[in-house]
Amino acid sequence: MLDRLDISLRANHVLFVILFTAAFVFGVMASMTGDRFYLRLATEALILSGLALSIDILLGFTGLLSLGQALFFGVGAYVSALVLREVPSFWLALGAASGASLVAGVVGGLIANRVRGVYFALITFGMAQIVAKIIYNTRSLGASDGLIGIPVVEIPLGFVTLSAGNPLEFFLVVLGGITLIYAGMSYVLSSPFGRVMIALKANEKRVPYLGYSTWAPRMVAYVLAAVIAGTVGGLYPMLRGFVSPELMFFSASGDALIMVIIGGSGTLVGAIWGAILLVAFKSVVGSWTEHHLIIVGLMFMAAVLFMKRGLIGLVKPMIERRLVRIEAAREMRKEGKAP
Amino acid sequence: MTPALETRGLSIAFGGLKAVDAVSFSATRNKITTVIGPNGAGKTTLFNLISGGLRPASGTVMLDGRNVTGFGPAALQGSGLARSFQITNLFFELTVRENLGLAAQTLDPVINAFFPVGRRGRAADKVDELIERFGFAAKAHELVAALSHGEQRRLEIAMCLASEPQILMLDEPTQGMSHGDTEETARLIRSLSTEVTVLLIEHDIGLVMSLSDHVVVMHQGRKLSEGAPAEVRSDPAVQAAYFGHG
Amino acid sequence: MPDIMDYLQFILAPQMLNGLALGISVVLVALGLTIIFGLLDVINMSHGEFYAVGAFTALALSALGLNYWVLLALVPILLLPVGVLVERYLIRRVYDGGDRHVSTLLLTFGLALVIEDILKIIFGPNTHRPATPLPGATEILGVFIPTYRLALIGIGFVVIAAVALVVYRTRLGAMVRAASYDRNMAASLGVRVGWVYSGAYAFGIALAGLAGVLLAPIYSVFPTMGHDFILLAVTVVIVGGMGSIWGAVVAGISLTQVQAISALIISPVWGDAIIFGVMVVVLMFRPQGIFGRIGHA
Ligand SMILES: Nc1ncnc2c1ncn2[C@@H]1O[C@H](COP(=O)(O)OP(=O)(O)OP(=O)(O)O)[C@@H](O)[C@H]1O
Ligand SMILES: [Mg+2]
Repeated sequence: MLDRLDISLRANHVLFVILFTAAFVFGVMASMTGDRFYLRLATEALILSGLALSIDILLGFTGLLSLGQALFFGVGAYVSALVLREVPSFWLALGAASGASLVAGVVGGLIANRVRGVYFALITFGMAQIVAKIIYNTRSLGASDGLIGIPVVEIPLGFVTLSAGNPLEFFLVVLGGITLIYAGMSYVLSSPFGRVMIALKANEKRVPYLGYSTWAPRMVAYVLAAVIAGTVGGLYPMLRGFVSPELMFFSASGDALIMVIIGGSGTLVGAIWGAILLVAFKSVVGSWTEHHLIIVGLMFMAAVLFMKRGLIGLVKPMIERRLVRIEAAREMRKEGKAP
Repeated sequence: MTPALETRGLSIAFGGLKAVDAVSFSATRNKITTVIGPNGAGKTTLFNLISGGLRPASGTVMLDGRNVTGFGPAALQGSGLARSFQITNLFFELTVRENLGLAAQTLDPVINAFFPVGRRGRAADKVDELIERFGFAAKAHELVAALSHGEQRRLEIAMCLASEPQILMLDEPTQGMSHGDTEETARLIRSLSTEVTVLLIEHDIGLVMSLSDHVVVMHQGRKLSEGAPAEVRSDPAVQAAYFGHG
Repeated sequence: MPDIMDYLQFILAPQMLNGLALGISVVLVALGLTIIFGLLDVINMSHGEFYAVGAFTALALSALGLNYWVLLALVPILLLPVGVLVERYLIRRVYDGGDRHVSTLLLTFGLALVIEDILKIIFGPNTHRPATPLPGATEILGVFIPTYRLALIGIGFVVIAAVALVVYRTRLGAMVRAASYDRNMAASLGVRVGWVYSGAYAFGIALAGLAGVLLAPIYSVFPTMGHDFILLAVTVVIVGGMGSIWGAVVAGISLTQVQAISALIISPVWGDAIIFGVMVVVLMFRPQGIFGRIGHA
């Protein structure tokens, strides 16, 4: 039979396929009705879901609480914006955003991984604050106004060229990107290396006695999360046409954390569902009352108090039980055939 | 022949307390060496010094004649040393199989780290073997948190064996076990000593006498005495330490 | 020469005095935060919101005609039961669920969102400027300083000294420190650890409320007023050593002086970046802070 961790990953896949299908249907229907607003909103939700997913890699699997993940999102966004203003090339901008967040992730990781637990959380918070303040005060980066006037880019995919200016096309590109990120991270987590990451969260003190470094996997997880956040950050200016220092502020990191906790940490897919729910909730409830924060806060507290796996935790166990039954039945058949 | 494990003048103090004070002893290959001593004698601290959990203030640790003083736990594990813990120290939110898999996956070549955890290969075979040997077949997919205390203690030992170590350090493996489980574990440890060097901490004197090839007695951080089980038992200094004041 | 003297007298000295008023304010907010961390191992992310609650409570009660000096005593007392309830029914539930630091940090983060919105619902999003209880300015060395600012510095020092006295010098404080050092040992000595925890949290909250009342006349009152302060207060707590009262005082006053002086020499906009830089460096090399922790030092 499969390990529980494998069953858990497969249950995530089921939930991801549901999400992907729903998103695809939504995209096609929205564009048929000629909607632009909701498609752009959904694209933004997907971009933010990448940031949330990067937090979940750290919090849900490695056991590290990052309170400054928006730092890398912002680095990616600014680098992408700067590149696009010079050369309007999708791949160059995205590559530069990933590269810059890789470098930032290594530097940040070397600093933050000196400490553990709550000190780690606070150091990530501090680093993001510093960089945000530096950008906020730097004229050449647009200071508090940010950078505007980012051109609409073409997205050459080899077989077809799409445009970031077309809401449906860009939505599909981002959906594809999130799918790749989700699949890549699931693959990493299913490997022996991923198991060590999970072990770090479960009981870090025991890990070195099994022969593994604790620093290296923590560092790799941190850099991976930084690159993911930076890469989706690189998509942001293509959607919005501008970047601003707010992207790095604590409220941005905090919002992404809310997405992870409400959606369900330690599931990858929970972060994506959480991002979509939070963005949808804010725009729906936000249209008739300003006070959505109280509901978000209560849901957040409820998740911390009662639902360790967030909203995903309400359905995931059912899916897992089903998968176990299917797996057991298959094993029986196999044994029946080859006695 | 060089001993599998040797310490020379190993010492550490916590504040003013000399928890381990100039302890020298050696463990012969494929024999069972047992460390005994009253509560607080410094046995666990000695294990921590040897296994890299603590850095000795002075003294050396040798594995196979090689100086490994100051190595961390991961490096020592790589040199063939595995240890269990007095206070059960497992991955409670993972299953039995996943725990063993984590311990065994160092057996596979490094390249495997880049492919999904498989059902084949040396590590997977080892896990299957250990599940069989320790009677976990029915509970392989149970969370460790849901196991009984005795089962958790047995898993502690199985975890150590998963990486096929040359030296096995067991800190009170039978602590809190039922009588039946204790005997079972004793049989297991004896059977192990044909393949590995065992360093044991044990409080059950009957077990110590029947299992050990060599006994090291600690008292207040110092080595009080050592020798064959019968010798040690008749040593008046040992009797004074154990029975003189509780 | 007269230029330098003028600079010192009319620019540097007032700037440092203002910095001191800010420093005392930050220490007042940080005091509760550091006590809660030192004793409960909880990073109270809702601390800034309780600070705002204190200010708004004072605002509402003074509209009913209550005297400012009465409020200074009354508001913290009103916050005590709130603190007890929050600790008993919310925070306590997640003490033992995995990593206590992280779970309590998350919970109080959620609580902060809720409190902030409740304040917005009751009082609206606008900024209020309560009248200062001590109008006018006092001349010191030829410079006029608002009298209330000077009073704040004095009151602040008294409050800080009183808190330190309670924590370090009374039987109550000893009990609380014992409970933080080893809860099982303390329990076996007859300390009612549950009540100590609730009491310490409530005490911390009450101090946040007191800071809210004290600072409202200077920094004005609005639902998100805690945000600015809490960042600085958290930094002060870390640099001073989480749980150390003297550490918070020293760090609070010196960091705000650094900020005040760097505002003159470099530019005011770099103050925050410098402060957070200090925080990161301290966390890197001495995460336990410059001074140790309450129970442990
Ligand atoms: N990390 C530590 N810090 C301070 N003192 C310690 C530490 N670890 C152990 N000690 C002290 O060192 C002494 C030896 O402890 P140790 O755990 O090695 O004893 P032991 O022989 O294993 O006892 P037991 O039979 O109870 O397991 C004890 O007095 C203990 O309190
Ligand atoms: Mg011991």
